[in-house]
Amino acid sequence: MVEASDWELVQKCQAGDMSAFEELVSRYQQKVFTVILGLLRNREDALEVAQETFFRAYRKIKSFQGGSSFYTWLYRIAVNIAIDAQRRQKRNPLDFRESMDGVMEERNEFAKDPFADVHDKELRVKLVQSINDLTPEHRAVIVLRTLEGLSYKDIGELLGCSEGTVMSRLHYARKKLQEKLRAFL
Amino acid sequence: MKPAIKVLLFSFFLCSAALHLNAADKTFQSVQITIKTVAAGKQDSEFDPRLAPLEKQLKALNYRSYRLLKEETQTARWQGNANFEIPGGRVLTVRPQEVTNNQLSLRVQLKQGDKPQLETTVRMNNGGNFILGGPPHEGGVLVLSISATAK
Amino acid sequence: MNTCGEIRESIGAWLDGELSGAEADAVRSHLETCLICGEERRQLENLNRVMKDIFESEDFRLDVEPFWHGLRQRIAAKRPWHADLAEWAGPFIRAPSFAWAVPAVIVLLIGALYFGSILPGWGVLAPRNNFATVESIDAYGRNVALLREHESKTTVIWLYQNSDNENEGAGETSDKGPAF
Repeated sequence: MVEASDWELVQKCQAGDMSAFEELVSRYQQKVFTVILGLLRNREDALEVAQETFFRAYRKIKSFQGGSSFYTWLYRIAVNIAIDAQRRQKRNPLDFRESMDGVMEERNEFAKDPFADVHDKELRVKLVQSINDLTPEHRAVIVLRTLEGLSYKDIGELLGCSEGTVMSRLHYARKKLQEKLRAFL
Repeated sequence: MKPAIKVLLFSFFLCSAALHLNAADKTFQSVQITIKTVAAGKQDSEFDPRLAPLEKQLKALNYRSYRLLKEETQTARWQGNANFEIPGGRVLTVRPQEVTNNQLSLRVQLKQGDKPQLETTVRMNNGGNFILGGPPHEGGVLVLSISATAK
Repeated sequence: MNTCGEIRESIGAWLDGELSGAEADAVRSHLETCLICGEERRQLENLNRVMKDIFESEDFRLDVEPFWHGLRQRIAAKRPWHADLAEWAGPFIRAPSFAWAVPAVIVLLIGALYFGSILPGWGVLAPRNNFATVESIDAYGRNVALLREHESKTTVIWLYQNSDNENEGAGETSDKGPAF
């Protein structure tokens, strides 16, 4: 169910109150961005998709009539746009290479962290690389489960698949990550 | 302003007015769910008159007889469960998920005892219905009409 | 669920809290005694911990200023709706006399739609679209068919029974299904 305060803000948005929309954005911008970045692996793309997510939510806010939580509704918009962006990444190999440069920057960021244990540092770098190597479907379930702690049922509804499919994709993804990182775990 | 633009503006005003008249600009607190349990068979030739509103839908299934066993209506809150007993030790659980643009999303599960047989998420028109059929019953099959209206 | 292989398949779901009571108990009691599966659990927990750390790290922190700047630009840069409509309809409208046919057609369509909804049977359109969209389905190993019946505009989900006869109820024989 929609939390009372989120729902009050949605109603104010529907009445044209821009500050209410900005408050909703402030509440969820970080969560939405983190999920999208986990799916797309590239900061520039993730920033653009996050902006597009909230822009579409702004345009479609009047069609939201309650029932599910506002966050679930917003999430669904974000995941759909991210999936479209992933398809475009696949079709445009040049863009993909550019996004891999973005990933390399992330890895270097990890290496610069002076407080991380060396073993942990290596594990984190390899883990990021291994997550990036997963297919979009497997990466999506890993991100949504690990980051958001969503139930298999909720993940299935967001991605349009059954709980059984979510369970088997998670199992497969974790197995793949374990195989690549066994020496570090 | 050019004449063509004036005409287009006027046309758009008409469309907006029509959409606004039809738009459900309100919130829905709960969902009324109706299940009609029908026994369909290939032996006799009988059509239960109480099933008249569903005649076209049922006759498309090409069985010879259709008999209404039970009709039950429950009201469920969003994310709440409405459980319906179905012949053969079965339970149909319907959970309304959300409504967007007058389209309802329902999570539907059919269980026999504690064994799940089917789980599905369906998006349908508010006030519409869909058919779930196939479980065997007395030489024929059960056909369930699942309709829901957000209120 | 007894063998190490079966338990290892389920440790992830057990850690996620997604197993039923009996299944969860089976996994828990097995892990208390099996060192190999215990090691598997430790690795999975470690993997989950590090993944969570990565997703919550600074590298996933949103740059708020550029984000807001971009979002505000998108909202402010919305094209006026009449500009979009004019661009689309422009090539079709050349003379003012023909242009007035456009709102005339729209008025007729609105009339047909509106009267159809308040006076059933008076509407000129076909029966309301009753098709449902099946967004996800799990038949637990059974065959299932999704059909759209066009005359009544109805979605039908048909569950076929397994040929190796689960106990569907005393005396119930299986039906081959409708002849669609």
